[in-house]
Amino acid sequence: MRKVPFFLAVMLLFVFARTIVAQEKFIDVRQAMADSLTSVKTAVKNNDWDGAFSHFQKAKSIWEQEVKPMITGGVKTDTQYEEYFKRIAEIEGNLNGLAQLLEARKSEDIEPKANAIIWGISHHPRGFAVPKPRYTAWDWVFGLGIGIGFCLLATVFGLHLRRSYYRRYKKIAR
Amino acid sequence: MHSDFIITGMYLVLMFAAGLFFSKNIKNTADYFLAARSAPWFWIMGSIWATNIGFLHGYLAHGGAAYEWGLIQANFEWFQGPFGYILSGIFFIAFYWRSGIFTVPQFLERRYGTGLSTVYSFAWLIIFVVTIAAELYLGAMFLKNILHIPFWPTLFVLAGVVGTYTLMGGLGAAIMMEFVQFVIMMIGTMPLLFILLHFVGGFAGIKNVLLTQWAVSPQYFTVLPDIHHPYGPGPWIILGQCLVVTLGWCAGHQSMVQRNLGARSLYDAKLGYVAAAIPKTLGAFLYIVPMIAAPIVFSQLGIFVEKSDAAYGKLILHLLPQGMLGLFIAGLLSAGLSSISSVLNSSSTMVIKDFYERFLAKGKSDHHYFIAGRIATFGIIAASILLVPIVLKVYLIMWLEQTLLAMVLGPFMGVLLLAIFWRRANTPGSLAGFLTGAAFAIFIQQVLGIKIFFQISWWSFVVTFLVTIVVSLLTAPPKKEKIEGLTWESDFEAMVGEIAEKRAEKTAAKVREIPQRTITRPPWYLNLKYWATAILLVQIVLLFFFG
Repeated sequence: MRKVPFFLAVMLLFVFARTIVAQEKFIDVRQAMADSLTSVKTAVKNNDWDGAFSHFQKAKSIWEQEVKPMITGGVKTDTQYEEYFKRIAEIEGNLNGLAQLLEARKSEDIEPKANAIIWGISHHPRGFAVPKPRYTAWDWVFGLGIGIGFCLLATVFGLHLRRSYYRRYKKIAR
Repeated sequence: MHSDFIITGMYLVLMFAAGLFFSKNIKNTADYFLAARSAPWFWIMGSIWATNIGFLHGYLAHGGAAYEWGLIQANFEWFQGPFGYILSGIFFIAFYWRSGIFTVPQFLERRYGTGLSTVYSFAWLIIFVVTIAAELYLGAMFLKNILHIPFWPTLFVLAGVVGTYTLMGGLGAAIMMEFVQFVIMMIGTMPLLFILLHFVGGFAGIKNVLLTQWAVSPQYFTVLPDIHHPYGPGPWIILGQCLVVTLGWCAGHQSMVQRNLGARSLYDAKLGYVAAAIPKTLGAFLYIVPMIAAPIVFSQLGIFVEKSDAAYGKLILHLLPQGMLGLFIAGLLSAGLSSISSVLNSSSTMVIKDFYERFLAKGKSDHHYFIAGRIATFGIIAASILLVPIVLKVYLIMWLEQTLLAMVLGPFMGVLLLAIFWRRANTPGSLAGFLTGAAFAIFIQQVLGIKIFFQISWWSFVVTFLVTIVVSLLTAPPKKEKIEGLTWESDFEAMVGEIAEKRAEKTAAKVREIPQRTITRPPWYLNLKYWATAILLVQIVLLFFFG
């Protein structure tokens, strides 16, 4: 009987182990890609074009072999991959653009392009996509009802508390 | 970076030394209460805020939620937080003092009996374990991002440190330590706002980039969004959060209520709680407003953000200058660790007092319970670590924790309000009401798929309220002598000392000396009414500009 919690704990670990490993890996591979792109920026600043190209190849390879397959595979079962799935075309367009800039050695445009890719593989706020505010007549009634109702309740209740308090402590408090 | 490490290390050593110094004369629980009972209102203020603000409630999780959903997150810091602080300070804390009651389960046990108190403790125990799991996860992720160290080993080290710290009994000096942490956190983290606003061109600059260039929804900049908002519809925030969860949190969370015990007088306890609404309001400028601007910084500097809860750590890592970063890390770490430690302490006490001592091992020696308490602390830490994988899967830690709170605090507020204001509320009614309310909350979340925790808390509150009234009316009223001194209509002046002392003798419970009611007129600048009015006016102004 005493071993039940132990076995439950081990089972729990087994159940979640796969998901944890997948999530950790998805974070790690994107971090590795972002680090490579940061190295591209640093190399360009140091005028090390061979190094920049090498780092870019590494970033592109991580994207093609690890990040993209995880997104396209993961989106079928897990909603957290959806935002990245929608941005695949944008990310690939920016990767191609960065390759062209590196070949043309346009150092001033490389940093914004690399940053755009890093931002593309980052998590974006959900609040960005919330619909614009809309208020129906019912919303106004509901909102105003709560507001006015709350003020009335607070006033009446506050007066009741005050009156009952002073009724009991009249001699001491006044 | 080296100077940051040195500052962080020095600060932690200093805090540890200060903790040992303060706790040297504290040998037992009674000493703790006596030593702490001298705290003036501003210590209480700092302590309450530092208890409230840790990894979870504050910088990392609230900041993460602000990154995810925008300015709506400020409603926790602006109107509902201060509202809960002020009302709890003026009303609930005063009520607990006058009733001779100092913990919430103690109040529920005396008013409604052991059944509800046990259920309530069990519900809080679940929340505490999830809270510790979330705090450990956030702390480990924060350190991973800042120091580039692996996640799981860091989490185990954090758990080991905080477990040892709690077992050593470092909470004895909690109030003094938390006040120091409060000052350090305020000084250490405020510069981030100015650095950030300078970077993005002020609040107008943030709006210009996000609204004009990125075409972000205007609701990202609203504290009270419309009723169709998927995370926090305005009216439901007022009903479910402001009137139920926040109030229940401020009046019912053991760690929050306990801080007021340390005050040197009832007035200091009240003013301390009310004044804590000021740093609470300022908190939005420390970790909400910066996170609204964070997407601009991340996109312009090319900073990778894996999820919302990691965003705050990334922001300070790239924006704060050397030295200041170290101070910030130290302040945040100690705040996080003290939050975990206080929750761990409360939960192990609950396990021993409310379950083990009551049901499993009655009448054992103090040493037995002491050892059992240590084992319980270890068990809770282990259970929390096992929960981290689930926490890791959640898209927003805030959402998980607030949903659980909604399921417990909705029913709690229902039975608490009736306990105080309706003498007819009885044991069967409250137990039926609480259990039905909690079950209804789980039903609407799991079966009906309502994910907005503001709605869950409101409806569970309403159901609890109604069921408690109906069942109480159908069953026998409570005995008059049982509830005397525990309801608003009680004659406290006559009853409180006698009742509390008799109960203390009967239950051998530690009940502090009953404070005598003395009418003293504070200087005008410490008048509670002025403070409360000024703080509420500030909330109205903030709502006017950002609502």
